[in-house]
Amino acid sequence: MQWFVILKKEILENWRNFKWVWVPIVFIIFAVMDPLTTYYLPKIMDAVGGVPEGSIIDIPMPGAVEAMMMSFGELSLLGVLITVVIAMGVISGEMKSGVYELIMSKPVKYSNYITAKFASVVLLILLSLILALITGWYYVLILFGDIAFTALLTSIAFYGCYFLLIIGIVLMVNTWVQSPGVVAFLSIIFIIALNALTSIYGHIFTWSPALLSDYIQVYLASGELVSEIWYSALVALLFTYLCLQFAILTLKNRAV
Amino acid sequence: MALLDANHLTKTYKNVNAIQDVSFSLEHGKCVALLGPNGSGKTTTLRMLAGFIKPTSGDIAFDQDSLTKDFRNFVGYLPQFPVFHNWMTGKEFLIYVGQLAKLSKDEAIKRADELLELVNLKEVRKLKISKYSGGMKQRLGIAQALIHAPKLIILDEPASALDPIGRREVLNLMRELKKDATILFSTHILNDAEEVSDEILLLNEGHIIEQGSMHELESVQNTVTLKLAFSEEPKFIEDRLKEIESVFKVNQIDKDYLLTVHDLQTARKQLLEVVYQENWQLTKFEVAKTSLEDLFMKAVKK
Amino acid sequence: MIDQQLLLMLLPLIILQSILLIVAIIDLIRIQQTNGPKWVWALIIILINIIGPILYFIIGRRP
Repeated sequence: MQWFVILKKEILENWRNFKWVWVPIVFIIFAVMDPLTTYYLPKIMDAVGGVPEGSIIDIPMPGAVEAMMMSFGELSLLGVLITVVIAMGVISGEMKSGVYELIMSKPVKYSNYITAKFASVVLLILLSLILALITGWYYVLILFGDIAFTALLTSIAFYGCYFLLIIGIVLMVNTWVQSPGVVAFLSIIFIIALNALTSIYGHIFTWSPALLSDYIQVYLASGELVSEIWYSALVALLFTYLCLQFAILTLKNRAV
Repeated sequence: MALLDANHLTKTYKNVNAIQDVSFSLEHGKCVALLGPNGSGKTTTLRMLAGFIKPTSGDIAFDQDSLTKDFRNFVGYLPQFPVFHNWMTGKEFLIYVGQLAKLSKDEAIKRADELLELVNLKEVRKLKISKYSGGMKQRLGIAQALIHAPKLIILDEPASALDPIGRREVLNLMRELKKDATILFSTHILNDAEEVSDEILLLNEGHIIEQGSMHELESVQNTVTLKLAFSEEPKFIEDRLKEIESVFKVNQIDKDYLLTVHDLQTARKQLLEVVYQENWQLTKFEVAKTSLEDLFMKAVKK
Repeated sequence: MIDQQLLLMLLPLIILQSILLIVAIIDLIRIQQTNGPKWVWALIIILINIIGPILYFIIGRRP
């Protein structure tokens, strides 16, 4: 009950500050941009000319899976960045402004507070992600070729786990410092470290959540869900859970 | 029976005791002022009673039940600088915190309407809080503290930051509230404490140095202050006044001489004799009650 | 031929981009204060395609 009250308030807030409008739009633009330019750039260059006679521009057209992965790739970069920015102030901002003290003078359970905030960001980001990837998929379908819709949905489900982890990390950092800017900075360092470690020791950490998009590519190309994709997703969910637990603990101890 | 007993509360921040061994009890229906200079530990004490921070040692018992874990259920708290979700309207915010305090939505709406009426914010209930004045925000802060009909209302410096009109509004509101609630409020302004409180806790450097009802505190001090003024400044007046045996202290504030005396009867007689002998042009002879200010200054200087 | 198809593909994007711009402008008009002068943000939103409104929502809005 209390959990829903906080969640509803967060959703209303995100509606009033237009996050529900701009975040999905921006995600869609991210997802569509790359496949679209890849398809049209050579054609435009052809049409405009200016290329010396006789020189052959030979940019091989990517296949449908590669094009789809461009959408995923953009979101892994810019989408993650936007996600961090969206989540950087959800708790630290309330602490900084002081409204936190007023809210916590009511019998609010710390676990409700954290998980409801988590849910509100997850709702916004996952819906944006789904809209964006479906739009990206539609463009790929028209321009590059077929990918089964069910395969797309499965991919989105796994990809979503990675974003859950990102949001979990940002929320955990939220409870450490009271400046949203610093929260964003620390979170990005965390995420970069995760990706860097994975790219160096990827052969050992085959279960790293940062590999999820690689496994999705394999899945889209072969239609086969390798066992590692399950491990990666599970690890992502587990770490998300731990981040939230840690955040709850931090808030509780702050009160002591 | 006491509503709340605070037993030997101590709060330590990085080896510094913000408050040390603070014990007191709050009776049902009393309005108690926590008085003390800035930095004396008022806010720490109140935050502890509001359940926002936990004491390093000592315990707090509600209705003589020290096992009550989350007494935020029974306490309404107004922080010193209340901050709201400014994008909400006043009414929305009250409903929100009401629901956080486990009221149902209908109850919260009903209660919000009552309180908006009480704190006189009915006209601006549909206005965004960002457009509220300082006084309006303070009254909204009091309303949110009352939303779940708490047994104890804790107000941290409720009137200190306001202009005279806002201050008057808040003090009147408190007088209204104390009719049927227990209030604990902090202030560093003596007048506010004198005006609305029944009892006083005097806090300095983390210790309680005096406590009791206004009446008790005055008689404990056992001294009286006389206020004298003269049309023209007599020569050697201070020396002459100090020679009077019943007068043990002379202060001068502007043109007034404040004499602290033990026994009013003798002091009056002796003083007037001197005035007569010296032929001083007396224009004012006033028996001032021992004001809280004297008490405050004395206590703090100890 | 290419032009027509390209236009068709770009149309949804152009619509989304316009929504982004309009929403940002509406918000800019309604909001009490921004980080930095309002007119600068108006210029940023209008002149910098897509990124302008995003920057406004992230940095310009004062919470």
